[in-house]
Amino acid sequence: MNKLNVNFLGINFDNPILTSSGCFGFGLEYKDYFNPNELGGIVLKGLTLEPRTGNIGTRIAETPSGILNCVGLENPGIDVLEKEIIPNLKKQGINTKIIVNINGSTVEQYVEIAKRVNEIKEIDMVELNISCPNVKDGGMAFGANPEVAGKTTREVRKVLNKPLIVKLSPNVTNIVEIAKIVEENGADAISMINTLLGMRIDINKGTPILGNTFGGLSGPAVRPVAVRMVYQVAQNVNIPIVGMGGINSWEDAVEFIMAGATMVSIGTGIFPNPLLPLEVKEGLNNYCIKNNLKNLQDIKGIAFKK
Amino acid sequence: MFLEDCVVLENNKISDSYYLLKLKGEKSISSAKPGQFYMLQCKNESTLLRRPISLHYINKEKQIIEFYYEVKGKGTNEFKNIKPGENINLQGPLGTGFNTDIENKNIVIIGGGMGMAPMKFLTEALSPKNNVTFICGGRNKESMNILDNFNLENIKTIITTDDGSLGIKGNVTIPLLETLKNKNIYKIYTCGPQIMMKHIMNIAKKNNILCEVSLEERMGCGVGACVGCSILTKEGMKKVCKDGPVFDSKIIIND
Repeated sequence: MNKLNVNFLGINFDNPILTSSGCFGFGLEYKDYFNPNELGGIVLKGLTLEPRTGNIGTRIAETPSGILNCVGLENPGIDVLEKEIIPNLKKQGINTKIIVNINGSTVEQYVEIAKRVNEIKEIDMVELNISCPNVKDGGMAFGANPEVAGKTTREVRKVLNKPLIVKLSPNVTNIVEIAKIVEENGADAISMINTLLGMRIDINKGTPILGNTFGGLSGPAVRPVAVRMVYQVAQNVNIPIVGMGGINSWEDAVEFIMAGATMVSIGTGIFPNPLLPLEVKEGLNNYCIKNNLKNLQDIKGIAFKK
Repeated sequence: MFLEDCVVLENNKISDSYYLLKLKGEKSISSAKPGQFYMLQCKNESTLLRRPISLHYINKEKQIIEFYYEVKGKGTNEFKNIKPGENINLQGPLGTGFNTDIENKNIVIIGGGMGMAPMKFLTEALSPKNNVTFICGGRNKESMNILDNFNLENIKTIITTDDGSLGIKGNVTIPLLETLKNKNIYKIYTCGPQIMMKHIMNIAKKNNILCEVSLEERMGCGVGACVGCSILTKEGMKKVCKDGPVFDSKIIIND
């Protein structure tokens, strides 16, 4: 019996393992290393209505146990998703769940892209990205302001005919407040955390290393922050959580589930170890067997229930 | 593309901060082409990302894979301390590589500094069926030590050094212009410092010669998933890891 399967927003997932937006391209980049259908689902690279070239200059810098990035939502736009990317995923036999990450500079743009996504039947769910730290207009500005976060969620929820996950930024004073507001405004689930705003300086040049000065920090360095935030939010909302931030092993995934996450998402960890999703899956299954769990979800939130 | 633990056979200092790493490989060497690269994993877990290292040479018969690398930061500092007998995990081969499918042509290959790395495999791939002129540029005599590891039979090799301690004093464009005067050159292949490639691309354009350049960029994933290494080209955004690292110079914005 499958101990990892999970019902998430009314859809049956084979396992709770997703790959995070921006770390798994458009689903096929890692197919030489493992079959993407082994995943519970794939969250595609962040999309906008129109194509975007992203930020210029250096986009990536390593830090201890983490990386900073300022890609800035480079993407081919929703037309290419609909006409090329999704048909190609299907042609390549991808039948795992597909979650599309949507972005905009105005509430109207978020609504417009949500309407477009409605028409693509192969997309199972939507992740509303109100937390990208690397774009000047939109992005994190939406997720850091409770009122705007609520409004964006509400307006998208009104038009969207698929389950809606709202991705939260950790760059706020009170994450619980934002989580409650997006719940009140119709979010079906929350994914957290997006990257932490950071920077590095080139000490030889005396200038910021990243082309966009600041970037989003991801990787194991942010994991304790992410676990803490999931733990706080899980106790204060009634909608499920996709936990992510520096998952590098099955043990890390267990931490997120014990903190209250229903699903877990692997991002940066796949870069050094392309086989990480499979290792996490196997490790979680073995963990269930060893601890006589009928299903992994039996340990969800036990860190605050005990 | 493969993931493979490879045993280190040799890891020797060639000059300054330049090292030559030889590994025993199996599946990851079978399809490799000149100009491709591998992502080498660091053992220190706080050094998160793999390091993209250009393929120096592959000996398919002996199943030996060679990397000529420069010790620059944390990751490559770790690589230099790896001892024979130890393992290192490779991911690759990755990227496009040079187009070597040409015959009976006059070719110029130019490597500058660390850009000499892909040229051993490339010169050997092109020289049997073409007339190859190989121009090597470096800071000084020591920077040419790597040439001892090349097989340069039937290849006209010209050396330039900044300090004149070996070969022509000056940069690679001096012998390049000289060669263009004397021969009808079909194509230039190059890898090296940005400024050097910029001049070479200009010369190629002026003389209406095909040119392939190998670029370098900070990379996250190496497979086109993270878009951390994208550059703006005349044909839009291109990923250095997947669409490159070798590009036709025609699409490179070079002003």
